[in-house]
Amino acid sequence: MKQEGMSRRHFLTGAAAVGAAAVAAPALLASCSGKDKLTPLKKEGEFYVPELPDKAIEGKELKVGLIGCGGRGSGAIINLLDAADGIKVVALGDVFEDRLNDVRNRLINERQQEVPQENCFVGFDAYKKVIDSGVDMVILTTPPVFRPEMFKYATEKGVHSFLEKPIAVDAKGYRSVMATAKQAQAKGLSVVVGTQRHHERRYVEANKQIQAGMIGEITGGNVYWNQGMLWYRQREAGWTDMEWNIRDWVNWKWLSGDHIIEQHVHNIDVFLWMSGLKPVSATGFGSRQRRVTGDQYDFFSTDFTMENGIHMHSMCRQIDGCSSKVSEFIQGSKGSWNSETNEIKDLEGNVIWKYDEEKAKQEFQQHDPYTLEHVDWVNHIRKGTAHEEATDNAISCMAGIMGREAAYTGQTVTWDEMTQSQQDFLPEKLELGPLDLASMTVPVPGQ
Amino acid sequence: MTTRKKYILTALGGVLFGIVLVLAAFYTSSATSTNESCAACHVHPRAETSWKQSKHYMNKSGVQTDCAECHLPPKGTASHYWEKVKFGLHDIWMYLTHDKEDFDFESKRTEEYAPNIVFNSSCKKCHTNLFPEDITDDGVAAHLYYEENEEKLGLQCVSCHLDAGHFIAGYKHEKMTTAPIDTTGPVYTEPASVTSFANFIETIPGTRASISMIAVPGGKFMMGSNKGDKFSRPDEYPAHEVTISPFFMGEMEVTWNQYWAFYVETMSEGRTKPEVIYANNSRPDVDAVSGPTPPFGMPDQGWGMGNRPAITMTHYAAETFCQWLSLKTGRHYRLPTEAEWEYAARGGTETPYFFEGKPSSYSSQGLWNSIFGTDTTTINRYAIYALNSKNRTQEPSRVAANPFGLRNMLGNVMEYCQDWYAEDAYEKGSANTVNPKGPATGTDYVVRGGCYNDDASELRCAARRHSDYEAWLKTDPQNPKSIWWLSDMKGIGFRVVCDAEN
Repeated sequence: MKQEGMSRRHFLTGAAAVGAAAVAAPALLASCSGKDKLTPLKKEGEFYVPELPDKAIEGKELKVGLIGCGGRGSGAIINLLDAADGIKVVALGDVFEDRLNDVRNRLINERQQEVPQENCFVGFDAYKKVIDSGVDMVILTTPPVFRPEMFKYATEKGVHSFLEKPIAVDAKGYRSVMATAKQAQAKGLSVVVGTQRHHERRYVEANKQIQAGMIGEITGGNVYWNQGMLWYRQREAGWTDMEWNIRDWVNWKWLSGDHIIEQHVHNIDVFLWMSGLKPVSATGFGSRQRRVTGDQYDFFSTDFTMENGIHMHSMCRQIDGCSSKVSEFIQGSKGSWNSETNEIKDLEGNVIWKYDEEKAKQEFQQHDPYTLEHVDWVNHIRKGTAHEEATDNAISCMAGIMGREAAYTGQTVTWDEMTQSQQDFLPEKLELGPLDLASMTVPVPGQ
Repeated sequence: MTTRKKYILTALGGVLFGIVLVLAAFYTSSATSTNESCAACHVHPRAETSWKQSKHYMNKSGVQTDCAECHLPPKGTASHYWEKVKFGLHDIWMYLTHDKEDFDFESKRTEEYAPNIVFNSSCKKCHTNLFPEDITDDGVAAHLYYEENEEKLGLQCVSCHLDAGHFIAGYKHEKMTTAPIDTTGPVYTEPASVTSFANFIETIPGTRASISMIAVPGGKFMMGSNKGDKFSRPDEYPAHEVTISPFFMGEMEVTWNQYWAFYVETMSEGRTKPEVIYANNSRPDVDAVSGPTPPFGMPDQGWGMGNRPAITMTHYAAETFCQWLSLKTGRHYRLPTEAEWEYAARGGTETPYFFEGKPSSYSSQGLWNSIFGTDTTTINRYAIYALNSKNRTQEPSRVAANPFGLRNMLGNVMEYCQDWYAEDAYEKGSANTVNPKGPATGTDYVVRGGCYNDDASELRCAARRHSDYEAWLKTDPQNPKSIWWLSDMKGIGFRVVCDAEN
């Protein structure tokens, strides 16, 4: 990352800090005398801390294309327009015209931006047409199985990408993203992934404390995404197999990767992000109880062994009428952090740090991480500082893939085996036609 | 002139002299790093022609990579100058003392030797991006594997890109599509009929392959070495008497002709899961074994097939060959026990080799031999080893047989035994002296006999070695790694034995 000079604001804060230190020094000395000094896990500057101003810096007008005009896509494009001025939406792509028109109309009505009809592309190759239409940046929000190819194409063309998570659902996709990420880096592109916790103030602050050593060495963790049932679409008359699958994509493993990746990757990713560790193996189980459509599971429970031997446990469930919990917990040798409470506790249970929400509210107006991730994306583009989050996210997705395969097969799945696997979910022929639905069965472990 | 002035002048003179010296050194270093300078001593034309055909000269960009950019550490590092001086002196010495006709260019372009003369740090200095835009999925998989295992397994760029600097025909572009099977001669319909304990030719029904089997008489012999025997190692102690029953043994190491016959009949689809193979082959009622998957590249390394020993198979592949052969012929074929192997290799002799001569006079180890050369007259007749192999396997017809009539027991390729290897196997097992079978379990298997690139000391009848799958498969990026083909060991093969109970 490019080293930036000390800004005026930095300087002032620095000066203030010196002043404050002079005043606080005696007290500080007294309080420190009996205690161990913190040993940082990573020093400042060795880990990425996004600058999160309320709005992106001013700069040249940027042309953006949106590929994948579903719920997340239409949300993301609005987030981007909130995050920065001088953004022009110039092209849209989707496989379904109705979804594309929804977004087009929304942009006209809510943002007074009319995407020219000739730049609205429908079909499986719409992504190429959008990327080739002269855009600077592209938002990729199709079902995730398509992400690696689209990211690759955008990078080849020198276009900055926003990649909605997850970014890989199979081994081949993982490898593709890993290679493309390196190429994006080489080209100085800005690539942000929609794991928005990386741009959520309370997570960013907690990570600073953890890296500073406040909980000591990380010794383990638990991550959760337990919620009610997710949406589904029943097949409608006149739909081909492919159309039904894509409209109902969060229920089909080839499209979504199953919810341990599609959704729960957020939480797995938090542990990998803060610990800096990769999993070496996964053992887990899961099953299907309530789902109506598709071939996915309703829940997974996975034990990950990390590369230094510690464990991380992950659970995710999409069943109505059960308790909900979406959070991350990290245990360290001196304390623990819990994203549910935004607190760090020492080993006796005393709260030794808490995210100061009031202070943040005074300092900033914008707290929506979905907007802030776009602020960061645009800032890197306008400053010309290369930035890519795809490598780290691909590794988190691979962890999810390992967990899924462990549950599907009932076997312990290793990093080495899964990263080299030939697993490839993308059908050879992409068209709105028949699929081999009979082969899409719910996996049975132990067979 | 005051003392002060003198002092300043002297100092200035010193500085000036220093600058001149540095400039001269820099100039010398640059001047001696040009291709022309290299070629002044490196007169073998194949180096230049193969370089010009390689990707480092013949490429889309038209950029050429010069000798010193790969054969020295990166410029500006201390090791660059250190290696430069070292290589320079060595090269001048070789140039003055050796005949260029003796230079064996082929033997330098092997995975084993190349890392001595190609610096990985130099590869990586230019190739900073291992994931360029046109890379294939296989390429990404291999490079991710490299990044994760570079240190752990000691991987080098040249482990896989041996032809990057000097073109090697068929190194990677060639892929085996069909087994290069021998189509001359009749297809056998019946196995050999064996009525007495005598040499016979096993004919493998349904194939054109046959195996010459030697009747090895039973007897007693001293297995292992005594402490103090030259080059002996602790795993060879104590020497102990062993009794061996009669058996038949292949006259030669299993040849490519024989191995491909097995491959064609048993080939498994690529990426068949090992568990599926193991399960099928271990069924008691199995009537057709599952054999090797297609190899990656040419498993003969471009050295030639035919009667040359088949190489680079795993121990499991060798055992499966025996299983197949047994099913085809109705006789019980297997790998030799370690004791049978040593008994057969000695052929009734009690000396370090089954031929005359001492290891100390054949070995290139030791100062005397390394300066004045070694005696090669007798060993040349019987064994393919470092000094006569040209760094590759040779046809069995090149050597004479041992007293039992077996060829290539010592040298050419190491041979798998059926025993698990244990360093203390003799110490613990010496009570069991009749047809011993080695330890009950283990992690690696015994391999015997030394191979084409071994020193003569490794070819002693008593010398023990073992398989090492981690090292022998270190560049195989698949997971699970192949159970059939080794990616990083070329000097391994096997020979079969057949029980002679009846």
